[in-house]
Amino acid sequence: MRRVGVGGITGSREAFYATLVLMGVLLFVPQLHNGYLENLFRGILMFGAMSLGWNLIGGYAGYVSFGNVVFFGLGAYTAAVLSAHGLHNVLVAVAVAAVVAVIFATVFGIPILRLRGHYFGIATLGLALATMEIISNLDYFGGGTGLTVRQDAFFSLYYYVMWAVCLGSLLATYAIARSKLGYAFVAIRENEDAAAVLGINTTFYKVAAWAISGIMAGAAGAVFAFANGFIDPDTAFSTDNNIFPIVMALLGGAGTVAGPVTGALILTAINETLWSHFPKIHTIFFGAVIVLVVLFLPRGILHLFRARQTARVFLESLRAYRV
Amino acid sequence: MGDVIMRVENVGVRFGGLWALSGVSFDVERGAVVGLIGPNGSGKTTLMNVLSGVLRPTTGAVYYGGKKIADVPTHEVCRLGIARTFQIVKPFANLTVLENVAVGAMYGRDGAKRTTSRAFAAAYELLERVGMARIADRPASELTTPDRKRLEVAKALALDPEVLLLDEVMAGLNLAEVDEALRLLREINESGVTLIVVEHLMKAIMLISTSIVVLAEGKKIAEGTAAEVTTSQAVVEAYLGSRFADRQARLAEMRREAEQSGRGAS
Amino acid sequence: MALFLQDLVNGILAGGILAVVALGFSLVWGIMNIINLAHGAFIMLGAYITYQLFTSFHLDPFASIPVSFVLMFAFGYLVQKYVINYVVRAPVLTTFLLTFGLSLLLVNLALVVWTGDARAVTPSYAGANFSIGPVTVPWAKLATLACALAITALMHWWLTHSKMGRAIRATSMDVGAAQLSGVRVAQVYAVVYGLGAGLAGAAGSLISLSFSLNPAMGDPFIIKAFVVCVLGGLGSVEGALVGGLVYGIVESFGSQYIGTGYQDAVALVVLLIVLILRPTGIIGKATA
Repeated sequence: MRRVGVGGITGSREAFYATLVLMGVLLFVPQLHNGYLENLFRGILMFGAMSLGWNLIGGYAGYVSFGNVVFFGLGAYTAAVLSAHGLHNVLVAVAVAAVVAVIFATVFGIPILRLRGHYFGIATLGLALATMEIISNLDYFGGGTGLTVRQDAFFSLYYYVMWAVCLGSLLATYAIARSKLGYAFVAIRENEDAAAVLGINTTFYKVAAWAISGIMAGAAGAVFAFANGFIDPDTAFSTDNNIFPIVMALLGGAGTVAGPVTGALILTAINETLWSHFPKIHTIFFGAVIVLVVLFLPRGILHLFRARQTARVFLESLRAYRV
Repeated sequence: MGDVIMRVENVGVRFGGLWALSGVSFDVERGAVVGLIGPNGSGKTTLMNVLSGVLRPTTGAVYYGGKKIADVPTHEVCRLGIARTFQIVKPFANLTVLENVAVGAMYGRDGAKRTTSRAFAAAYELLERVGMARIADRPASELTTPDRKRLEVAKALALDPEVLLLDEVMAGLNLAEVDEALRLLREINESGVTLIVVEHLMKAIMLISTSIVVLAEGKKIAEGTAAEVTTSQAVVEAYLGSRFADRQARLAEMRREAEQSGRGAS
Repeated sequence: MALFLQDLVNGILAGGILAVVALGFSLVWGIMNIINLAHGAFIMLGAYITYQLFTSFHLDPFASIPVSFVLMFAFGYLVQKYVINYVVRAPVLTTFLLTFGLSLLLVNLALVVWTGDARAVTPSYAGANFSIGPVTVPWAKLATLACALAITALMHWWLTHSKMGRAIRATSMDVGAAQLSGVRVAQVYAVVYGLGAGLAGAAGSLISLSFSLNPAMGDPFIIKAFVVCVLGGLGSVEGALVGGLVYGIVESFGSQYIGTGYQDAVALVVLLIVLILRPTGIIGKATA
């Protein structure tokens, strides 16, 4: 009978359940008492949340943001500023970061989301760069040197909170994809003018999508600030933090629920492998990886499995956009 | 039919230095099928855009339910009870046929009250009504042109409209498909929906309209029943040029004289 | 008053370079609908070409401009033909990521070859100035401006009068019609991208005369090029020139009165003001 959403705009149900299982497994990483692994998987969870966030505005709503790192950075600085004023509670920091993200997304979203395509992309990039610049210039935020954040004695706390942020983002994405909200986003992506005529208040829903994506990235940023113990403009607003979530979403499958986390896992694995084998030039390889992913897997790995004809999909991708 | 539900008053639209529409006025009665015709470039689509609230007129206004349509934001127009189809059909390509219609059911006039499952149920019923239920799960990108047009209509119907604006919905259809389309439109009209139809196909318009408005060069040059409009000198002139119109008038004159003298003879 | 004039002059001098930077960016965007995030990397490579020629062969920087142009043109042509060509009609995300990945590759290659240490091109005339009243004008910067104007003029002439130039303009107006007229669009695209890279390289050479070099030096120029294109209009030589000069002046006054650290913020504000004051529904030549 009529399926509501699942399979359509959520991607495969199996992949979602597999991701939940993965999350369950990841819950036990701190038990291994291995600092390196804990950092590694906390990173995956962090990027998972950020990628899920990007996925909402870029994958579902179709507004390709090239500056979502601004939310991550603001979240990180929120935590740092709170800590500088004596509030060292990571959960409070996450909550405040979420509020900051919503306010920021609303204030800047209303003008910027009027732009489409390339213009929106570059405007968000400009926004991220400008915000980073302004923060670097203000002493309140520690200027170029940054701020330190006091860490709790129970360090694995930050792993668990990051895990919760990632899980929360995953479940929120799933809920959205099955709901009217998800359809509003996708309708805007597919044909924004038609969506408006069908009764969708496009401005409201676009801002909502961006705000939710901001909450996910901002929460991740807040936890990161604590886990890292220190935050400065280059760390908070780094290009890696900006681009990785996008590539991860693309790699896993943009516009699906399971894609971003899958992509986060795979890309981190690739990155770590490259780093350990080619410490000096791994970024070059990474650039090559991005190029290859874009050329050969534009619809993500999960699409590959759905298609079941791997070679044909590869070639199709190559030929689809040629002149 | 009877009361006026939409009033077009002195609508004019200017693009740069050009008046695409000027001084267009007419009333739309509840339950009517208003055919909107005119040669290419006469302003039909511009008028449709004004009627559906997508374009704000430079002068004049369109009144519906006591409100000026131009004052209502685009996404609220469907809540007034107005729905439209677009000439260039672009469905939500990556969604299924059912999902396409369901979006309208979720957000249209009754949308706020509907849950997703109810919206899907309503959408399925609509698909059955337009005859597309068996392809409900097909991605919209894979549809043929006539099916796309039908999907367009179904999406508009999902908004539960009082007035349905149809912009060249029969373009690109073969004769059999046109007949089917006409049947569907008649059925929709009989269910209580007022139609405003823009078409190039004369036969279709003549068959279905209760009243016809003719535009030429942005102005209304005739209004009335099919018979009235086809014999109007102004209409013939607009479509076929003044020389043809004069010749037609003279031929009609000659025929009348021949009849009279024929009757006189016998 | 003197300060005002100095800022103005500085702005014009900087604006000339920006015009050349923006011109290449604008051509690729206007004609191929691709926002080339690797543009900054091309600028950087052009600068390093000049640096290397100067350090290893003592070639005067101004003389290296044509070399850098030709080398970068060839490089861009090949990159387009064998990589970018596969995504010319792809959605925005694809081209953004692809060109970004390319940029990452190039910047990190440069990091390996030349390390992250700041380098400089220091010909003998580097510090020489002359003065007009209260305003100091460095000779090198004036010559840079002259070169920038020359390059712009040359591009304009070439686009209007050469066969390939006309083919390019035809393609920018209507790809289908151009193809029907016998234009080999794939070839045009390769040339255009090559031109974009070549112009970026030339700009890089010009920049190397006034600023120190590092592998990331080209990145800030992308946002600026974008704003200049928005200001001046896509695919137009005059637009890039006027936009570049205006932007250079705005930036100069901005750093005087707001502080030098706020360049990107200034760019963003200018960008938002321009984009939002335009009528709604701007899509330009980009497809969402």
